[in-house]
Amino acid sequence: MDLALPADAPGPAHTQSRYHIYVQIAMILAIITGVELLLIFLPFPKPLLIGSLVLLSAVKFLFVIFFFMHLRWDRVFCTILFFIGLVLAGGTMWALLNLFSVKDSIPLSFQP
Amino acid sequence: MDAATAILDHPHDPSTATGIPNKKLLLWAFLASDCMFFGTLISTHLVYRQHPPPGNPVATQVFDIELTSFSTFILLMSSLMMALAVNAIQRGKVKSMRASLLTTAFFGLVFLGCQVWEFWHFVYEKNLTITNSIFGSTFFTLTGTHGTHVAIGVLWLLSMYAYSFKKGFSERNAVDVESMGLYWHFVDIVWIVIFTAVYLLEYVYPVASSAH
Repeated sequence: MDLALPADAPGPAHTQSRYHIYVQIAMILAIITGVELLLIFLPFPKPLLIGSLVLLSAVKFLFVIFFFMHLRWDRVFCTILFFIGLVLAGGTMWALLNLFSVKDSIPLSFQP
Repeated sequence: MDAATAILDHPHDPSTATGIPNKKLLLWAFLASDCMFFGTLISTHLVYRQHPPPGNPVATQVFDIELTSFSTFILLMSSLMMALAVNAIQRGKVKSMRASLLTTAFFGLVFLGCQVWEFWHFVYEKNLTITNSIFGSTFFTLTGTHGTHVAIGVLWLLSMYAYSFKKGFSERNAVDVESMGLYWHFVDIVWIVIFTAVYLLEYVYPVASSAH
């Protein structure tokens, strides 16, 4: 079969820009990882540190799924499908953490 | 849309009801289920660290955060190489794709090597095993499962590399490489969550160890 590029196909300029996007995002991810490593040794209030770490991880997570996993350029249905699993997983985690945080869930062997 | 354009329009497949290639749709559905799988393992670890039993090890005295940070960086770079491999095959550049796949597999092996060394260090030098504490059980189950996923990914990468030498392997096979890429990136994003929730959290909010 003839695989010659039709006139309206994405040209080299379009594909080249994605290469640079990937490299730039990889550098951003590396920098964010470095910032996370620095943050844990800083004498900031714990809620601020935890919030910052969660936020930075979420940023890394979203960069990877939307750019490296192409969700940004794919059909919306792929995003919906993945986020269904993500929401279910997040909801399960939230439920478990809350269930086991209550006083009645403290094991008898635990001595604060 | 004519046949030539359809082949080059990688994200979309006009022959399917959703417009998404079936292989890719299957991978996304699998990854959605795998999210729930890792969600339960991570939440088990977080749940048990809330009320540590007597004798539970202090994580910051066990972890080697510098090594873990290095392995995190390696995994991120492997994700970059995987994205470049997919980009290459979508442009019909098979040799470039092969180089990127091999580099991705190499980085994956480096990551696995770091994990193996870390596990050996924990078991033989820090006396942390999967059976002698709840922390050990949840930690090794979670990171071991992730490591198994990485190992499967490396095998898949090497298989795809070998398969790329088959006669006729070309841009038409881009969806196969992309599907594999989805799996590899998923393994990376799971590690992003594990690195924060398991390792970094211990330094910010250490659990008070009970009397030994």
